[in-house]
Amino acid sequence: MMILGLLITLLGFLISFASLGMTTSVGGRMTMVLVGILVSLFGIIGLMNKAFLKNAIWRR
Amino acid sequence: MKNKYRILTTFAFCVALGFGQAPAPATPPPPAAAPVAAAPVALTDKDLKSVEAPKPELRAKGDPDGGLTGTVADIAVSDAKKGLTLPDVVNQIGQNKIAINFMWTLICGFLVMFMQAGFAIVETGLCRAKNANHTMMMNFVVYGTGMLAYWLIGFALQMGGVGAVGNLGGTPPLSSEFAITLFGKPFGLFGQTGMFLTHGGTYDVGVMVVFLFQMVFMDTALTIVTGTAAERWKFSAFIVSSFVLGAFIYPLFANWAWGGGWLANLGVNFGLGKGYSDFAGSGVVHAVGGITALAMGMLIGPRIGKFDRTGRPHAMPGHDIVLVLTGCFILAFGWFGFNPGSTLGASGNGNLRISSIAVNTMLAGMAGGFSAMFYMWIRYGKPDASMSGNGLLAGLVAITAPSGFVNPVCAVIIGLIAGVLVCLSVEFVERVMKIDDPVGAISVHGANGLFGVLAVGLFADGKSNYGGSWNGVNGNVTGLFYGDAGQLVAQLIGISALIGVVFSLSFVANWAIDAVIGQRVSAAAELEGLDLPEMGAIGYPEFELRTPRTAGA
Repeated sequence: MMILGLLITLLGFLISFASLGMTTSVGGRMTMVLVGILVSLFGIIGLMNKAFLKNAIWRR
Repeated sequence: MKNKYRILTTFAFCVALGFGQAPAPATPPPPAAAPVAAAPVALTDKDLKSVEAPKPELRAKGDPDGGLTGTVADIAVSDAKKGLTLPDVVNQIGQNKIAINFMWTLICGFLVMFMQAGFAIVETGLCRAKNANHTMMMNFVVYGTGMLAYWLIGFALQMGGVGAVGNLGGTPPLSSEFAITLFGKPFGLFGQTGMFLTHGGTYDVGVMVVFLFQMVFMDTALTIVTGTAAERWKFSAFIVSSFVLGAFIYPLFANWAWGGGWLANLGVNFGLGKGYSDFAGSGVVHAVGGITALAMGMLIGPRIGKFDRTGRPHAMPGHDIVLVLTGCFILAFGWFGFNPGSTLGASGNGNLRISSIAVNTMLAGMAGGFSAMFYMWIRYGKPDASMSGNGLLAGLVAITAPSGFVNPVCAVIIGLIAGVLVCLSVEFVERVMKIDDPVGAISVHGANGLFGVLAVGLFADGKSNYGGSWNGVNGNVTGLFYGDAGQLVAQLIGISALIGVVFSLSFVANWAIDAVIGQRVSAAAELEGLDLPEMGAIGYPEFELRTPRTAGA
């Protein structure tokens, strides 16, 4: 789950980056970049952090 | 009688204030006739020779009013036989401009270096006394570790391809950027010259100024991480981690933003405003440090006793609030080097805006401190001191990127938002993400660093003018609220790179270090306090330390 989270975090950046080549409209780019940021945040908070919390020191 | 006296006094007061003033003329006086423009006369060497230096006998009497010091006699002459010539004067003017810019940038760099002391005592004060030596040592050693890494390779990766820094005399040796072509445009990824400050002709006075100033910025990013991982970070792992951040990860993003890399060129290549614009480093310095701190906080886990078995957080107060707030003041002082110094000059190219940048910096810090204090006061009933300090720092972090592009009202708005944001972020990181961040570095530097980058795309008013262009695009940086949505997109792409790339790189690097040497000290060492097990000496040997047992400890 942690590695999946890491990959999704990177994927988020790639979505934002791809906006540069896929469209020339400012609105289109902004939408893609915002989606990319949300995907990255989901990778960090929703997947990676959850994976760490499963084995957190305070659960033992 | 009393009333009469009052009326008389009021009347006299009104007369003094209003009626006593001379009445304004009904119509403005006609403008004086414009002087007839004289035909320009070319200066010659002969004219220069007619300028007399103060007589030696006059000079021998001293110069109490300064009128005789700094005259034609002080201009360096290239050929004593010819005497003073026009080229001598012109060269002296050029050198004076560069000398002013050197002095400004170096002194600001010295101020930023002193911020290390501020970070050291803020972090130490927010930690428990049993870890004081260890926390101070991390902040002390990170300065040298980062400097070594940066001198060896980091500076070359970051600034090796920046090209001409006009304010500092051109710096032509820094002109080799590695780039790839994507979407038909060049994407600069890292610089290739400047290793050891001798490679590729970088043994150069201008390059030295760039190095010093950029080095202390990089060290600021490194020292942010020590706060989040404090009280449980193995000293050896900390040194390796800091080296990697200073040598590779920080310089990579800094190159993209400041070293002529692809983010800076989003304006030139894709028409997105003036490209990613981060005046003094909300993103490059603070968000890089804060996001690396987030990766470290997840990897290293919370301190023993921070969360109980249900996951409820418990307060672990620092041992010295006096240190904390003194450190905040030192940091606020150092920020006058951080932001205004980022013009890299005080003379030429619109650099007189340093006054506006300094004022924006102090206003945002004030607003951040106040809004955090009032937020805590309203929410918890008391004006929390450490959060007020963090609010001040949050305001300063958030104004760092926009300081060169916004007006004072927007600076205050940015500071007010930052102060509340840091409080909300601290609560989110601790209660939702359950990450233990003893000093709040993730929130102060990470969350507010990202907000600062965003703020450029919103609040930049298009009034700044640094030589008529920014990042190679003519015109001034202008945010969404002043009409340029493209600038906001450029800023958001920078934020995406910080979250997606910097976080991933920092996480993988620290994960590898964890696998090889281990990031965390033993539970026994942590409970004892790291001063003796890690450093061999306790921070306060004269005092008896009573550590209250916390839940789970």
